[in-house]
Amino acid sequence: MSDKLLKIEDLVVQYITDDGIVEAVNGLNITVDRGKTLGLVGETGAGKTTTALSIMRLIPHPPGKIISGGIELDGMDLLALNEQRLEKIRGDVVSMIFQDPMTALNPVITVGDQIAEAIMIHQKVGQAQASQKAREMLEIVGIPGNRSNEYPHQFSGGMKQRVVIAIALSCNPKLLIADEPTTALDVTIQAQVLELMKSLKVKFQMGMVLITHDLGVVAEVCDDVAIMYAGRIVEQGTLEEVFTEVKHPYTEGLFNSIPNIDDRKEKLKPIRGLMSDPYNLPKGCSFCDRCDYAMPVCETEKPPKIYFSDTHFVECHLYRDQQDFKLKGGMK
Amino acid sequence: MTKYILRRILMMIPVMLGVTLLVFFIISLTPGDAASMILGQEATEESIAELREEMGLNDPTIVQYVRYMGDLFQGDMGNSYATGKTVNSEIAQRFPNTFVLTVSAIFLSVLISIPIGVVSATRQYSIFDNVGMIIALVGISMPSFWTGLLLIIAFSLKLGWFPSGGMEGFISLILPAFTLAIASTASITRTTRSSMLEVIRQDYINTAKAKGVTRNVVIRKHALKNALIPAITVIGLEFGILLGGAVLTETVFSWPGIGRLMVESIQRKDTPMVLGSVIVFALAFSVVNLIIDILYAFIDPRIKSNYS
Ligand SMILES: Nc1ncnc2c1ncn2[C@@H]1O[C@H](COP(=O)(O)OP(=O)(O)O)[C@@H](O)[C@H]1O
Ligand SMILES: [Mg+2]
Repeated sequence: MSDKLLKIEDLVVQYITDDGIVEAVNGLNITVDRGKTLGLVGETGAGKTTTALSIMRLIPHPPGKIISGGIELDGMDLLALNEQRLEKIRGDVVSMIFQDPMTALNPVITVGDQIAEAIMIHQKVGQAQASQKAREMLEIVGIPGNRSNEYPHQFSGGMKQRVVIAIALSCNPKLLIADEPTTALDVTIQAQVLELMKSLKVKFQMGMVLITHDLGVVAEVCDDVAIMYAGRIVEQGTLEEVFTEVKHPYTEGLFNSIPNIDDRKEKLKPIRGLMSDPYNLPKGCSFCDRCDYAMPVCETEKPPKIYFSDTHFVECHLYRDQQDFKLKGGMK
Repeated sequence: MTKYILRRILMMIPVMLGVTLLVFFIISLTPGDAASMILGQEATEESIAELREEMGLNDPTIVQYVRYMGDLFQGDMGNSYATGKTVNSEIAQRFPNTFVLTVSAIFLSVLISIPIGVVSATRQYSIFDNVGMIIALVGISMPSFWTGLLLIIAFSLKLGWFPSGGMEGFISLILPAFTLAIASTASITRTTRSSMLEVIRQDYINTAKAKGVTRNVVIRKHALKNALIPAITVIGLEFGILLGGAVLTETVFSWPGIGRLMVESIQRKDTPMVLGSVIVFALAFSVVNLIIDILYAFIDPRIKSNYS
């Protein structure tokens, strides 16, 4: 068995709407090793959720469509499987946590039953046994098991997200996709949920794709980092590589827009402009109209992929002729 | 919950007061004289005047109303001007017929409309959906006396399958129940479809799919129960409209229910009978609404916890 748990190759996903075609994901490549956590970082609209839903094969169709590419999960070619096979995989081999815990739980079903449902589907056990297991799962995520008969509205946002995590982990998946699991939560609750996910990742020995726009979260949890912009990975590497040797101007921009605790007088440098119109992506580099380093070639040609190590690469014209080009900094 | 139900029952009292007051005054404004109607064409002026005095018809309307309400609170709805029988006995005899007709109609429409609404939503813009919605639009647009006449022409005059009126066994229930059901079926279908479309876009539906729940179970278990919440509101409203439709349908099909009794009584200016029928309809509507609200609590745990 290969050590690659998830391998996405040249994935292209579009939403075909009345207003035109949204190029949400444009030739995406990522891999996740068994038991490792990949941080998928990018601003709103970068195509992160679309990527996650593609792995689940839950892209809403219409309007969404996987146009081309390959997704291999645990040796299976996901794009070749029929719906029945996919139903066996969802929740069992791969699970997903959605962004907003307030709306992710069914309001008319008890949390216990919502957890037990997945267990009954995949582990072929009866109601009583599944309910018992559901209570154990609640305990694991830090909720008293006797609350399993309660309904979602009786829980706070952080507790709901714990329930969602319990559902996702109930069948011990090999891969967990967490789509901005803490974005909708209060800061103090965020830390608790993150801590929980960190410990469960080890306990369940699962691989994880952690989607976020928060580099702080990435530093906390991830082994590898992929920076996503306009449907492509513009820079990828190990946590250390990306955090110490920032290569892509967009990655640099992301770091510069984090408040610096040591020097609060220093001004934030948000990335100027807005992300390119996904209905009408530029011919060259998608980031060039916001980039401080843009050159004429950036507007006309797609940037090449340049490797700095086996794991660290960037898609940027800056490094084509001079591999040791240094960004202006702002990083310490 | 019990406290809530009690409160709701108490709230029916002002509703009933309002309904009776309104109907009483409307009837008093219509032309025609009860005393001369009771005594018939040959009666003398004196005997009519005498009866008017005896019945208290010369008193101001408000006094008559108060007297009527006094009797009503003792359970006495008076005697029919036309037949002399007590209103209570007449209504007791006719109510079961209206009950059977309206309840079968609402059952029929729920039974037809929920599945069609669900399938239409899950296959939005398919042939099934488009045809279904056109039929629903036609159904909503047709008044029940018109549908009733069409059904009589087709199924009893041309095909001879069902009787055109009267009440002889189950077979004579079918046409009037269908007639009554059509309009409400159409609007419950449309509501079910639109709330279902709303629900299947919700995040928790994705959560269910992500667990590996099959498509059918997602619809039946996760979506339908949520979609039923708005549908039930409409079912309650439709039941009210359906009670109104019963007046026309019973007349068209000569169904011996309260609706037909009411129409006949209005024609005869039989005030006590009209009032009695209206009170029964208003009570039925209030009770249905109460049942709907209790049903809510059973389906939606968020509402239930508000009550306790
Ligand atoms: N159902 C949809 N229909 C049309 N466009 C969509 C739909 N879902 C997402 N998009 C578009 O696809 C792009 C990527 O969206 P998304 O994957 O949600 O990004 P992210 O999760 O990174 O914020 C955005 O431009 C978004 O507007
Ligand atoms: Mg998203």
